[in-house]
Order: sequence, then C-alpha cells, then structure tokens
Amino acid sequence: CDNGQASCQVLSLADLFDRVIQHSARMHGMSSDLHSQFEQYFLPSKNQIISKVNRNCHTSSILTPNGKENAQRLAGEELTEVILKLLWAWRDPLWHFHQSMAHHDDFNSFSSNKALAMSDLVHELRTGVEKVAEKMQNLGIISNLVNGLRSPELLLPSPVRPQWGLRNDYDLLFCLRRDSSKVQNYLKILKCRMVPENDC
Amino acid sequence: LFKMAAAKTDYSPPGRPTLTSCLSRDKETFTCWWDPSDGDDGLQTTYALYYLKENSDVVHACPDYHTAGENSCYFDKNNTSIWVNYNITVAAANAHGSSFSEPVVVDVAYIVQPHTPENLTVVVLEDKDGTFFRVSWEPPHKADTRSGWITLVYELRAKLDGAEWEEHFAGQQKMFNLFSLRSGGTYLVQVRCKPIHGFWSEWSPPVNVTAPDAVPQERSTWII
Repeated sequence: CDNGQASCQVLSLADLFDRVIQHSARMHGMSSDLHSQFEQYFLPSKNQIISKVNRNCHTSSILTPNGKENAQRLAGEELTEVILKLLWAWRDPLWHFHQSMAHHDDFNSFSSNKALAMSDLVHELRTGVEKVAEKMQNLGIISNLVNGLRSPELLLPSPVRPQWGLRNDYDLLFCLRRDSSKVQNYLKILKCRMVPENDC
Repeated sequence: LFKMAAAKTDYSPPGRPTLTSCLSRDKETFTCWWDPSDGDDGLQTTYALYYLKENSDVVHACPDYHTAGENSCYFDKNNTSIWVNYNITVAAANAHGSSFSEPVVVDVAYIVQPHTPENLTVVVLEDKDGTFFRVSWEPPHKADTRSGWITLVYELRAKLDGAEWEEHFAGQQKMFNLFSLRSGGTYLVQVRCKPIHGFWSEWSPPVNVTAPDAVPQERSTWII
C-alpha cells in the first residue's frame, strides 16, 4: 500500500493467503487443462504415455515434502522457501514452452496463449507469496528466510534449455501440473497453520 | 470347448489378473484392488502385488494384504508418497507358473475419492419470503480438511416424491438453502463430495424431510 492513501486498505494475512491460494488453484487448474489438451492434440494413443513411470522434472532437485506429515513437520520458513523455489524455477521454462508451442499451428491458437497466461500467473503468484512471506516476517510469525526473499539462491536449479520435441513439452506440462499441485497444497497447509482461526 | 477349457486350467499358469482400481480416501494412504484371474480351478492360485516407485529400480511387494479385505493391497502412511508415480502390477501364480496383470501407473494426488460426507441434517426454516430447507453436513472424518491437506467441494441433490433429482453445487460450503419447496411435499436429500482434481464420493444416505403445509399459496407460485 503506497503513500498511506485513505482508500488504501491494508489486507490481513488471512486475506493475502486467500488471494495466493486462489491464484494457485487457478494455476493448478490451468496446468491440468494444458496437460490434458496436449494429450488430446499430440498423443492420441495414450497407453504408452500413461504407463510411463519415470519423470525427469527440472525441479526434482528441489526437496519437497511428499506427504501431509512431512509438510507439517517443516517450519513455516522452510515451507515458504520450498514454495518460492518451485515458483522461481518455473519462470524460464514456461516462457520457452510458449515459444516452442508457437510453432505448432493447431495447438497454437488457444494453448499457446494459455502458456503465456500461465507464465504471467506464475509471476503474479510468486509476487503474492513474497508479499505473504514479508507480512509473516513483519508480524514476527516466521523469522527471515535463510536465503532472503529474492536472492539468487532461489533461482536454483539453473534454467532449462529449450529442447525440441513433443516428449519434452509433454514432460514439462506433466511437471508443471505436479508442481502447481504441490504449491497449492503447501500454501493451504501454511495458511491453516499461520491463520488457524478459520475452519480450514 | 469345455474340454479345452478344462485342459487349460489343469496344466497351465493362471490367466492374467486385472488390476481394477487404486483409490485414496484421505490423500494420505491408498488401496488397490484386483480381479482374480479366470479359471482358478482348485489349483490354489496365489496373488501378489508388486510396485516400482518413480525413478527407482527397487521392486517392492505389497505392504499389507489384509487391512482392505480380499484381493486388495493397502498402503499406509509410511508406504504412501504423494506426487510420486507408482507402477503397480499384480502377479497370479499356481503350480504351473505365473502371469502378470497389465501395469497401472498412479499418483496419489489424482486418485482421491473421499468417503461420503457425514451428519447430513435438514432443518425447516422460515423467513419473510417463505419456508426453506437448510441442509448442512460435515466432511468425511477420514479426510483432514482442517489442516488444509485436502479441500473438498460438495454437491447436494433433492427429489420430491415421484419427481426427478435436482442437483445443486455448493462449492466448499458445508451448508445450502433449498427454496421453492412444494407445500406438504416430501423430499429426499443427499450430499456428496470430491477434491477438485479427484472423484466424487458416493451419495450419502438420504434424509427424508417434509415441507410444511403452511407455505402461502401465492408466494410459492411466485417463487416457482
């Protein structure tokens, strides 16, 4: 809120959380749509895709809790940092994906735009989570993040190179859907812990 | 034909079993079920479930064949990781050999089907616009909605005697008001739930409720 304007309303932590959670729900919904649209357009014979177990996500080097109790065991600072790391890691790949999709005429019309919108959404979400983190720090609910809010440490892992090929694009969407599901879940866990008065 | 079938079951490995489904009720544990192979003719076919986790070469055997009943495998919290693909196969074996089901790949994040909502309650209320039902319910107790781990949306449906079901989406709310009631009409009301990227639960057991006769005539016509 700038300049202390009278019309300017200070949002509570609960409100800020609600906003980023809504954003993350949109991100997860959109990435799920993109993922299934991609399957429909490019991979009509689904069997070989569905039975693929191993995934090579560029974010797999980021350690993330893989269950409720693990997520709850993490301190607020750590969970916040995991969320921010995931969001930072998607900045460049989404832009590359948009570029790559622009070469496919049939997919281009709506999904390429969606990829671009997705990229904006991730940016907004990251900014939103940074605000939430700042607010939590100001309220003294969490201590300062180890790496600071916008430090280059969060930029790990190194941005993925744009790779050609449907398989890579499909994997990218798979990983995006998974990471957006994680982000949404972690945000909800964090909210319910930090603002517990609401019936989460 | 009968002879051939009999010969087959007597001297050959069992037919392929089918892994029918894998579901999680709470996003913290999950269960897989299979159909036994055909023609199990007293040869004492035994079944085993094996799985591989994403990006690992270690084959695990089912951790628990008992908790979820016959022909099933239950994965408790310690054996369940979310956002990790499981590649699951069922093996059937008898004295003559073994056969394997088609493998199934699941991620617990996307196979959640909760139990039905609980404590469905319908109260008849009245305000200045007339009578209405206030329908309320609780999430299934196995789903930990309070921690934020699982978020459910709800749908309810109501049916007047002899009429069609009318469905209403309630979003994340655990309460819904039903208006436009038929005076003196008896309704059945049910509710179900699902995570946004999951499967609908079964409908809850129906609650029977009758709208009072006292709904003003012109008012009810006007609302309809």
